[in-house]
Amino acid sequence: MSAPSTTPVGRLTRDRPAAAERTYRLLLRAYPPEFRSEYGREMTLLFRDQYQASGANTLGFWTTVMWDVARSAPALRVEEWRSRGRESTRTPEVTMKTAAMLTVLLGVFLALSAVAEGRAGLQVQGTLEGTHLLAVVLGAVAGALLLTAGVALLRRTPSGRRTATLASFASLVIVLIARLMHPWMSIASQIVGVGLPIVLLAVLYLPRRSGPSAPRAA
Amino acid sequence: MASKEASAKTPESHLPLAPATFQILLTLVDGECHGYAIMKEVAERTEGAVRLGPGTLYGALKRLLEGGLVEEGGERADPELGDERRRYYRLSKFGLRVARLEARRLDALVSAARQKKLIGMKPA
Repeated sequence: MSAPSTTPVGRLTRDRPAAAERTYRLLLRAYPPEFRSEYGREMTLLFRDQYQASGANTLGFWTTVMWDVARSAPALRVEEWRSRGRESTRTPEVTMKTAAMLTVLLGVFLALSAVAEGRAGLQVQGTLEGTHLLAVVLGAVAGALLLTAGVALLRRTPSGRRTATLASFASLVIVLIARLMHPWMSIASQIVGVGLPIVLLAVLYLPRRSGPSAPRAA
Repeated sequence: MASKEASAKTPESHLPLAPATFQILLTLVDGECHGYAIMKEVAERTEGAVRLGPGTLYGALKRLLEGGLVEEGGERADPELGDERRRYYRLSKFGLRVARLEARRLDALVSAARQKKLIGMKPA
């Protein structure tokens, strides 16, 4: 968290209360991540100062520490939860989350729809022709790719966004190939298979233009 | 750091302040302080009655910063505590107005208690 200290106090910190500090860092996990990244280092420093001033690793000291965490962490969690609720209607994050969940659901729909089309073809014709079978498999793969895109988007990480973009694009290409091979693809499958990746790619592109603010370093 | 909340709220809307919050503001009236200095001064002034742990202190400072009552004064080491850089906090003009209003409110309360002879008399 911070650079090793070379002062007498720093040496004492390094030698004796390192375990106590590690325990306190574990306790810090009770606080919201944003709060931790903003104040975690300062709180650990304050804990270190308190520990050294108290002079002993007593039960009373740890009771005070635990009481402080138990008293302040839930309140801060509630505050963050409330502020997220207030912001959720106007931030691009909620658009992204909604798009991700919709993509997961429609990806499952597209995959199941392809399987249903294959089963219907089997019932009518008794067997699936080569191109029809390939179109069904491609439809299922496109659905699975959309599902992957949705799940990747829910992770809300840069690598997740990249995976979602690639999966959406691949899904779009595969659906177009499947449509060319099997022109009788259902309208619903065509709308979902072509429309959804385009919408998703647009959603992935738009928030980048608005430039989300980077979290402040601790 | 003047936040949206600070510009939207009047000093009166922050009253009454929580005891710990007022203690923090009272400490910062004298100038910039880091977390441990605030904690120590509050404990000394209240003779140990108000003890601010790291979570309580930084939770309160976060709210004060968001409300525009306190500003960050940069980071530097405190020679008495080693070479670790510490974040300093100072009272904003808005925070000073809020602290004055709270002090007046408490003063009026104490005056009322004195008139009712709750304080300022030898116990029977």
